[in-house]
Amino acid sequence: MTQWVLEGLRAGIRTTRYPFAPETAAGVSPGLPAAGELARPDLERLIARCPTAALASADGRLVVDARRCVHCFRCVRGSDTPAPWQGGYEWATGEGTLGKTFTRSLHIRVVDAGDCGACLHEVKQLAGPYYSLHRLGFFISPTPRQADVLLVVGPGTDQMREALTKAYKAMPTPRTVIAVGTCALSGGVFGSNFACGGGISSILPVDVEVPGNPPPPLAILHALLLATGRAAPAAKERQTAGERMP
Amino acid sequence: MIAMAWTGAFFALCALGMLLAPFVPQRRNPLLVAIAGALASACLCVAGAYALLSGRTVDTTLGLSPLGSTIRFSLDPLSGVFVLITGIVFLATSVFSAGYLQRYLDHYSLKVFTVLYFGLLAAIAAVLLASDVLSFLVAWELMSIGCYLLVNFEHRRDENIRAGYLMLAMGEAGTLAAAVALLLLANAAGSLGFEAIRMNGTRLADGLRWTVFVLSVAGFGVKAGLVPVNSWLPRAHPAAPANVSALLSGVILNLGIYGIVRVNLDLVPPRLAGPGIVLLLVGAISAFLGILYAVTANDMKTLLAHSSIENMGIATTALGAGVVFATTGHQALAAIALVAAFYQLANHSVYKALLFFGAGTVDAYAGTRDLDHLGGLIHRMPWTALFFLIGSLSIAAIYPFSGFSSEWLTLQALLRSAELSSNLVKTAFAFAGVALALTAALAVTCFVKAFAMGFLGMPRSPAAEEAREAPRSMLAPMGALAALCVLLGILPTFVIPALGGALKSVGGASAAHTLVPPFFSHGRPSALPAKFIADFHDLGAQVGQDIVPGRGLVVLHRGGADNPVVFAMATSYGFVVLILLLGGTAFVVRRLTAARRVMREEQWDGGVHQLLPEMTYTATGFSNPVRVIFDAILRPRTVEDTQETVAQHFRVAIVRTREHPHLVDRLVLDVLTAWMAGAAGLLARMHHGKLNAYVAYVLGTLVLFLGIAALR
Ligand code: SF4
Repeated sequence: MTQWVLEGLRAGIRTTRYPFAPETAAGVSPGLPAAGELARPDLERLIARCPTAALASADGRLVVDARRCVHCFRCVRGSDTPAPWQGGYEWATGEGTLGKTFTRSLHIRVVDAGDCGACLHEVKQLAGPYYSLHRLGFFISPTPRQADVLLVVGPGTDQMREALTKAYKAMPTPRTVIAVGTCALSGGVFGSNFACGGGISSILPVDVEVPGNPPPPLAILHALLLATGRAAPAAKERQTAGERMP
Repeated sequence: MIAMAWTGAFFALCALGMLLAPFVPQRRNPLLVAIAGALASACLCVAGAYALLSGRTVDTTLGLSPLGSTIRFSLDPLSGVFVLITGIVFLATSVFSAGYLQRYLDHYSLKVFTVLYFGLLAAIAAVLLASDVLSFLVAWELMSIGCYLLVNFEHRRDENIRAGYLMLAMGEAGTLAAAVALLLLANAAGSLGFEAIRMNGTRLADGLRWTVFVLSVAGFGVKAGLVPVNSWLPRAHPAAPANVSALLSGVILNLGIYGIVRVNLDLVPPRLAGPGIVLLLVGAISAFLGILYAVTANDMKTLLAHSSIENMGIATTALGAGVVFATTGHQALAAIALVAAFYQLANHSVYKALLFFGAGTVDAYAGTRDLDHLGGLIHRMPWTALFFLIGSLSIAAIYPFSGFSSEWLTLQALLRSAELSSNLVKTAFAFAGVALALTAALAVTCFVKAFAMGFLGMPRSPAAEEAREAPRSMLAPMGALAALCVLLGILPTFVIPALGGALKSVGGASAAHTLVPPFFSHGRPSALPAKFIADFHDLGAQVGQDIVPGRGLVVLHRGGADNPVVFAMATSYGFVVLILLLGGTAFVVRRLTAARRVMREEQWDGGVHQLLPEMTYTATGFSNPVRVIFDAILRPRTVEDTQETVAQHFRVAIVRTREHPHLVDRLVLDVLTAWMAGAAGLLARMHHGKLNAYVAYVLGTLVLFLGIAALR
């Protein structure tokens, strides 16, 4: 017992300083492919390699639809000309509709709408000491009746459609839906098929989207800050060239 | 004499009811019960109230018994309390019966019911009025048998017959013990009259006192359902029709306490503290075991039956405390404890009758009494639900309903044990206090369960889904009793002086003086010190003295100079404040939210496709924590019943059920039964069917008797 206390004191505070200072520790984010200039044959080869059609060309430039990227790294590894890659984690897009009222206390109901466990795992990390969402006034609620945010992971399977709708209807207004992870945004590898409709937006109006498969905890934190108007959304199209993956 | 005239009218009406019953058509019998029963019980109420409020004792001699003793009836304030309670419960029951009895119209003879009903009513009144041993015992026996026959009214069901036999056997054993106690007293006094016994009561030796105490408590305790002679009660209640159950709990159980009080407080004025402590502990244990089994019961009536044991236990605890205080010279405290006991009895009669009416209505109109199969009745039976809720709140001792006032008074009386000198006695009081506190907590659990599982949520059976509301004639008596529950709760300063009148019979100090200080002067100078009045004037103790009659609205026990107020409560003022607070809050909330847009969406159910009754919380589930915590006492027994078919080779079904045999059954009843069976087995060896041996028995007996004759 006493050892724990001493060790805790010795270790000091390890919680991330984000959003007050950028987090630079290694491995907090896997990054995303970035837009960039490429030679036409390379461009076409890359586009062909992407399994979820996240890559496309526009006026001879490579553009990335982060909502579809599943982090398979096929466009980087085993490719002669790898796609440009960017680090960072402030990826959430959308609108913060909740406003300043919720900056000190925001209650979140997490619903697993058929996810594989990866995104949910990242959400769970938020409650740990490293990301510690409570320090920012975010709380996980056991019931939608007291929640302001419906945080949905997974592609939105048909079996979860009713539960999701019920949870949304049970929430008091104003309410916000945050879709977390590629599956929730576009269906990911599942796309639109016999068991799911290709993303949460086919079921509920989604306000904030967090790309990533799974998105790192900091990206989810960014989405929550965005929902309450405490952070700016990611740039619509990532223009930065990004650094190359090693 | 007025009281006796009313009692005479009462007996005449009872006789009229009994005589008319066979000539009135079956269909009209419920109406006869309602009208004649209501009139008769109204007479009883008047007589009881008169005796109680006037504080006088009226005697009449009815003649000579075949044994040569005089038959005397007398109505003193102590009888008055019980007569009044009996009258109130019977009044409500008579009206309720008119509707309730309809369900038996095609199955059982209602003429028999009517005759028995009026017979029981008259017998109960006779028990309370009897003033000599002989008529008391005869009335008691008539009451016991009438009660047995009514409980067994649905006599075509096997389990009812078994419950009835147990009731009869235990009741008769009890009567026997009580009879011995009374005859011992009569023998010592040399007369069968209560008057003579009372005169002789103070001169009794300690040994005889203890004998009489033990016999009378064991004997009358059977009727009161005290542990360890309570086994019949939880079995009899589910067997009895609901209106008879209401009488059983509301009236008959009281008679047990009446017997104990009459013998041990009135006929033999207490001198030893020991019996008081025994009563205290018996009461505390009864209360705790009663409520523990009530929480785990799922049949509404079994639950209520166990809770009756609890309530009788609470009253007995207060009674025991009263005896201890009285014998140690604390007359004021004794008065408080005894008033608490009577208050508890009165409250219990009212709310238990109400709850049994509720259970009967649910049984009749929702098809079952099993809480696991009920639910959602509040939508279909709103009035029954409301009245049952008021009854539940009262019995759970929730302020401002009636149970609160009496249980609060009981606990306060127990706390006053600080003024006793013996540490052993204090320990007993502390034990009783802890047991009662635990009981109170479990009572809340129990009645949250009874109400919530029965009336809230969704129906768990098709029968419950098709429930409908009872007719007005059944709702009206429930409503009246519910109103009485509220009144008994918010007007303790009127109830306590009235009940305190009964203490005159048992030689106690006036409870009115110790508990209800005359804050209301009504223009006259008050008996209280001016400074005391002034202190309390600022607290509002004199609010309303110009409009409200009586001594005041504050229940307060005054102590010495260093602690002027030992304990106090003012439920009447509290009630007004409560109404204002609730109303004010509702008003403010309405105002604040008037402009809000209201969204109406489906209730949150965890997102399931369809909420099925099977998914909701059941009564068994609700009480399971209690079952687990008190596992050591409850000792559940798992019974496995395998059904096989085809030459005992294929299992068709395995039915596993859990039973909770009552602690008393396990420790007392089962043991006694085993002994008896063993003794009978030994005797049975005589009967082996060999003729020559039987001849030898005859010869042996003859020789034995000749021998005895020769020796004399
Ligand atoms: S990582 Fe995979 S899914 Fe993402 S853009 Fe590259 S190839 Fe497409």
